[in-house]
Amino acid sequence: MVEFLKQILTIALYTSLLVHILLMGVVAFRLWKGENVIDRLMASDLIGNLTLVIMVLGTMIHHQNIFLDVALGLAALGFISTIAFAKYITDKRIF
Amino acid sequence: MENIILVITIILVISGTFFSVIGVLGYFRFPDVYTRLHATGKVGVFGAVFLLLATALMEDATWGYALVLIFFLLVSGPATAHTIASAANSIGLKRKNALRDDLDICIDTDPRDHQKQI
Repeated sequence: MVEFLKQILTIALYTSLLVHILLMGVVAFRLWKGENVIDRLMASDLIGNLTLVIMVLGTMIHHQNIFLDVALGLAALGFISTIAFAKYITDKRIF
Repeated sequence: MENIILVITIILVISGTFFSVIGVLGYFRFPDVYTRLHATGKVGVFGAVFLLLATALMEDATWGYALVLIFFLLVSGPATAHTIASAANSIGLKRKNALRDDLDICIDTDPRDHQKQI
């Protein structure tokens, strides 16, 4: 029973990885051809979040904790860059 | 006991993937910047947090990282959404299909400046 459930978990993990990579490609197309600047900003934020999800899936697939360190740094950098871009669009200056 | 943990992990992985697909689908289908922002918040909060819970259940010695990341995502998601919506409002993007627009006069900037930008 445990072996069967582990096989199902492996299949679910690889399917989820494939789905997230496809979603990243689709959102990257929207980042290339967006309607306005806010759409592109949202697309870049979404790509950062999807990359974080792929790092978490890599932790579960390869059984290595180092992916979660990378995910932590990626989340912090994505948050700061999105806030900086949005404040730049609002105020027309960075600082 | 291990069977129950495995079943819960499988359910969490599938629901996280479901929320990611829903978020990107809403990002493509919704008509407006503000409604799209509502959809993209689901990827950062639900998709990532469910998969992090699955990781904390399955892997050894990852629950500390997982809790820190969940806390950070729950804090940073609404802040990012609020800042992007404020930027969209300040450059004068209109809300489509709205019955009444309460933010028609922008509060943060000069109203004459806002009218000129539209």
